[in-house]
Amino acid sequence: MTPATLGSWAVEDEQDLGDGQRLMIINMGPQHPSTHGVMRIVLTLDGETIVHADPVIGYLHRGVEKIGETRRYSQFTPWTDRTDYVAAPLNNLGYILTVEKLCGIVAPERAQYIRVLMAECSRIASHLVWLGTHALDIGALSMVLYTFTEREKLLDIFEDFCGARLTTNMMEIGGFSRSLKQTTIVQIENFLKTFPAAIQDFMDLLDDNPIWIARTRGVGVIEPDVALDYGLTGACLRGSGINYDIRKAQPYLIYDRMDFEVPLGTQGDVYDRYLVRVEEMRQAMRIIRQCLDQMPTDGPIMSNDSNYVIPPHDTVLRTAEDMQRHFVWVIKGFNAPKGEVYMAIEHSKGELGHYIVSDGTNTPYRLRIRTPDFVNLQVLPYMAEGAMLADSVALIGTIDIVLGSVDR
Amino acid sequence: MADDQAPAGAETPESGLDLLAGARLVEPAHDMTGIAKINSVWVTSGYWGPLSEEMHPAIVALRAAFPDEVEQVVFFRDEVTLIVKAQKLIEMCLLLRDDPELSYRMLTDLTAVDMLRMRSAPRFDVVVTLYSVKNRQRLRLKTAIDEQQACPSLTAVWSAANWLERECYDMFGITFAGHPDLRRMLLAEDWDEGHPLRKDYPMRGYKPYVEPGFEEGAAPRIKDFRRL
Repeated sequence: MTPATLGSWAVEDEQDLGDGQRLMIINMGPQHPSTHGVMRIVLTLDGETIVHADPVIGYLHRGVEKIGETRRYSQFTPWTDRTDYVAAPLNNLGYILTVEKLCGIVAPERAQYIRVLMAECSRIASHLVWLGTHALDIGALSMVLYTFTEREKLLDIFEDFCGARLTTNMMEIGGFSRSLKQTTIVQIENFLKTFPAAIQDFMDLLDDNPIWIARTRGVGVIEPDVALDYGLTGACLRGSGINYDIRKAQPYLIYDRMDFEVPLGTQGDVYDRYLVRVEEMRQAMRIIRQCLDQMPTDGPIMSNDSNYVIPPHDTVLRTAEDMQRHFVWVIKGFNAPKGEVYMAIEHSKGELGHYIVSDGTNTPYRLRIRTPDFVNLQVLPYMAEGAMLADSVALIGTIDIVLGSVDR
Repeated sequence: MADDQAPAGAETPESGLDLLAGARLVEPAHDMTGIAKINSVWVTSGYWGPLSEEMHPAIVALRAAFPDEVEQVVFFRDEVTLIVKAQKLIEMCLLLRDDPELSYRMLTDLTAVDMLRMRSAPRFDVVVTLYSVKNRQRLRLKTAIDEQQACPSLTAVWSAANWLERECYDMFGITFAGHPDLRRMLLAEDWDEGHPLRKDYPMRGYKPYVEPGFEEGAAPRIKDFRRL
């Protein structure tokens, strides 16, 4: 047990530079509405200009990685909902795919389509939360009402599909045990009909709004080299013009069959990242449309023939082998092969990677969650240096953080 | 069905202690009849580069420039892991970043694994995952660090290493030599209970949780009934 070495965390009120110049040090947060949760930023101010910003995180740290080491592979899925509670299905997907890669399972085609469908719905829902709260921070107070109205429809779709709205826990190792109902498909179709007009409304409200442009254009510019240096992913990287979308660069599931485009920014400022995310919502709609059109109407949704997945319910009732498999699966789980895997998916916020080291038992030896917003948040001091105090809320919002995901 | 057995091909290697020694043997051994053949990600190659020590450009370049540093190359599930020595980690990373052919310009992840239950020494593995936007390839470097040993800091190579190394220090107590600002990342600044992701750290901490305000002789609220 080594004692923690304390840095200079104590906050002084003022710092005298001589010649009548003073730097003021203030705390922003941890209880501040525009930090999107519980984050504290220690701001050093020269007048209204930010000299230095030091984000202090960890207020929502629950030790998810430690918990993952004591839970069996299939027991950990509910925890992934709670890391990023705004896009729970995407988090499920990232973890499930990593376990499947470790065990060498491939989900059936139809299950992959349903996964992509739900992942893209979740991406839109996450972007809607981001757009509403980001605009709310900057001062467009009505946006949050419109975006949350649309998000409500997506949560209804999740509820219809899996029974839960926020912490969905919908993905399973090997596929799904419940199929996509016709009512869910109808709801998605209805959403696809109304959502383009809604997006157009958002853009009409914001795109040419002089206040929005004044608050976002030229603010928080990240150059492409800096974006790579800081390891940014997602819209933060693509807003700077670097073409890295994991769905295109390293396609997983059936994304290689989908026809969609990756929007790129040119300036790398807050406005570009806004445009990139709005366009991503449109592209996600295209993917949902193609999924509905291409999805096989029949076929298995759960990979069977494997020790790693839970046997289907009807064979559990009919055959002795599957009843035994089911019993063992429930009581002690499965032993994953020895080895280590890293699997990344394109989360709504960037690259969500899970790294599992397995020692051949039924729990991971080490489970690392590489959350996109933890790495993306690092760039905040770089962006904030020299910016105005009022811009700091725009800079926090543009990274798109969820503190549950940052702190894990 | 024998669920308590490991799947075929995943037997423990003879040497026992090293995690990845037998990793090459593991093949997916499942009957996929009845399931549509899918162009799966990890079956298609090219994501971690060619799966051969002679063909992979990063392995060739590192072997040429640092003949004694690369100890072992592991391929598992089409992933490439280089087990390297810690002494010249910064130089190796600079080569990987700046070589125009390799251009691993993005540090995706930096983390550590406490190998306490895997081997006797050294204690930790520091795991660095890189990505090359140009070649669309990933690469993983692993280096073993003992408890008293300091790992070279990669902050000079990638700015992204700053917080990731701070988190490593916070969670494992690994010191990074040359890090500009090594302090707690996620835990409280006055945390005095050590580093929670170490394997010898109990699941519920060293101290029983006491409701604030009831420190005087109050019983702990939650009994420590879980394992670990």
